[in-house]
Amino acid sequence: MLYIKCPHCGMRSQNEFAYGGDATVKRPELNKEISDSEWNNFVYLRKSPRGKHLELWQHISGCRQWIKVERDTLTHEIFKTFKAEE
Amino acid sequence: MTLISALNNVHIPGFYGNYKNKDENNLIKISEIKNLLIVQIVQYKNSSIKIEELKIDELNLKNEPLSVVNSSDTRILWNGPKNWLLISTKKNLIKKIKEVFKDNEFAVTDLSHSKAIIEIEGFNSKEILKKGCPFNFKTLDKNNSINSTFNGIALTIDCIDDNPEKIRLFVLRSFGESMYHSITDSALEFGYIAV
Repeated sequence: MLYIKCPHCGMRSQNEFAYGGDATVKRPELNKEISDSEWNNFVYLRKSPRGKHLELWQHISGCRQWIKVERDTLTHEIFKTFKAEE
Repeated sequence: MTLISALNNVHIPGFYGNYKNKDENNLIKISEIKNLLIVQIVQYKNSSIKIEELKIDELNLKNEPLSVVNSSDTRILWNGPKNWLLISTKKNLIKKIKEVFKDNEFAVTDLSHSKAIIEIEGFNSKEILKKGCPFNFKTLDKNNSINSTFNGIALTIDCIDDNPEKIRLFVLRSFGESMYHSITDSALEFGYIAV
């Protein structure tokens, strides 16, 4: 079981969290004309890195906040956690 | 209108589990708490009001993890950033809450009838919770509260006292029966009195 340090609540079990995907993906700017392939990249294309990965998690059974977690996808080691806006 | 509590036909007083040859005073007591005012208070993100300036029943809100501010009648549990759960025996406090927490700055929701409340009292109360909840209960002291899960059901745990342990569990009303059975199953090993 993973233990994730929620920046709001402290160290909690992974059971209390829901995975929210890659935190580095940015939504295209509002009102900006973008091509179909850019939309396709944003909606569907994801990297599958081996090593450090910045992820979104939601503390769904705790404070309900979204947080960012820097995790190693190979060892599951968690290096750092941030508030979503950081 | 007749009010029916969440565990009305579920919580039946009596002795259960491994209670024989044990001192009745040392047994765990499980009870349903009824008729409390439960109000969720959420401060909007764009609100600039300082919560330290607001008082309700002589208590200030505290934006600090685990913290519970309390008086003899009222407890205010930290539920997340800018998010609190107020529990009170004073049912008419809701009017005052709506006056103090203006609706353009705060979302105030009366949850009094949407929660089931189970209270566990006795020296092995935390041992019962450890069976289904992944939280490290060594860090839960008197007047602390957390949100977590018990056997997959989301709940709020409020530690009212630590000697002997007295813990209140708040769960969505519809999950009340399921939670009650989970808790009482875990308590059978120690023996308990449903009061």
